[in-house]
Amino acid sequence: MRPDTSRTLQGIAINLLTNVIAEVKTPFGQQTVGIAASLAMWIAEETERGADRLVVENGVTREILADGLALAGTARAAVEAAAATPAAPNFRISSLQSENDSLRRGLIALHAAVESNPSADAQSMNERIWAELIESTRRRQFQARIG
Amino acid sequence: MEAPLARYLEANLPAENVRVTNLFRIPGGASRETWMFDATWSGDGEEHSQAFVVRKDPPASLLETDREAEYGFYSAFWNSGVPVPRMRWLEPDASIIGGPFFIMDRILGCESNTRAPQAPPYLAVQPEMARNMYDILGIIANFEWRGTAIERVAEPPAAETAWEKELAHWEGIINVQELSPQPLMRAAIRWLRANPPPPAQRVGVVHGDYRVGNFLYREDGSIHGIVDWEMAHLGDPVEDLAWSLNESWQWAKDGRPGGIVDRETAITLWERASGLRADPAAVLWWEVFSHVKCQGIWITGARSFQEGRTNELILPMVAYSLINAQDQALLRTLGRIA
Repeated sequence: MRPDTSRTLQGIAINLLTNVIAEVKTPFGQQTVGIAASLAMWIAEETERGADRLVVENGVTREILADGLALAGTARAAVEAAAATPAAPNFRISSLQSENDSLRRGLIALHAAVESNPSADAQSMNERIWAELIESTRRRQFQARIG
Repeated sequence: MEAPLARYLEANLPAENVRVTNLFRIPGGASRETWMFDATWSGDGEEHSQAFVVRKDPPASLLETDREAEYGFYSAFWNSGVPVPRMRWLEPDASIIGGPFFIMDRILGCESNTRAPQAPPYLAVQPEMARNMYDILGIIANFEWRGTAIERVAEPPAAETAWEKELAHWEGIINVQELSPQPLMRAAIRWLRANPPPPAQRVGVVHGDYRVGNFLYREDGSIHGIVDWEMAHLGDPVEDLAWSLNESWQWAKDGRPGGIVDRETAITLWERASGLRADPAAVLWWEVFSHVKCQGIWITGARSFQEGRTNELILPMVAYSLINAQDQALLRTLGRIA
């Protein structure tokens, strides 16, 4: 759809902040309009990047689960089940998110297993998981700064 | 809501000719709706007027908290060294104004905005405000709660296991409320269990949300009301100190707690006021815990909205703006990122 969804949402946010908010009489109403504008800005970003973010993260998480399976110890069944999560059948955000949830449940199980394992391989995997978790927060970081 | 409130006051004051005016909802109050109103009435042959606040349970919120406990903590501190508004009535009947509620007197002439201390006239009194903030927290920490309403509404933990009780409570909330797995918070919970803090120096009152934004202040930096006691409980007073340091309330985005005081000064002020030691291991433990607790609050709001139990936009706003930010703050506290 053109203009792009993200640009349209940005326009909605700007209109709320410049044209609408001044017309609202109560502080509570003004706060609600301000929040709606903030959300529109963030959703604009997420609409553009969300599918890509999830596809990338799902791929990275699958690799970690596959490489960490031998180190999973008593969590092996949980990690194996997560690693066997079918790929999302389409590129809808809800499908990709469902895949992501399943994979990240396995990541939690693997993380718990390797952090209590003193072997060098396990500790190396532990650090790799931490690095991915740090990266995952960067993927989710919004560029729009509001408030 | 004016008419049912007027009828309620008429029955409970008791009074005649009650008039309710200037009713409005204030921004914030993400866990309970907060409404202000003025009332006038006749009674004892005289005309009376009073500004009130109503805290009303919403259909869903950031947090499901115990109204009676909040009321009990407020009541216990009335006329103590901790300034609180006077409690009037606790009403469990949801049919009167559309939800259970309680009513308290309104403290007039104060500011509570989180950003106001960053600008004149409050900017110049940040040191006084910080000193008052931690002086009052010291009084809360040493408050003799036995024999007060708190004894009825809160269970005291053992000094050795106060941490365990709080951690189990908030882990339970995350278990129930998370919409998606939280790998960073799960790592934090494992760390907390593996590195327990020293026992509480005393089992005292913990406000549970003590920070800039939850007290009423004036232009001279004086504080006239501590509010939002909905997460108050008995436990380790270091919990409140660590909570006040959390990055989520560093409103000036400059690393200073509350945007009004540097970390070291905050800790020194608290130690002086409370007479307790801020053991660095205990402070670190409760800071990591504070991220877990914050995340429990944010994801509870996210689920409420996702499931359509409320359309309050503050809930997705908190989720979008704070869930990932809280994860990053945790990473900083653990020294994983700068």
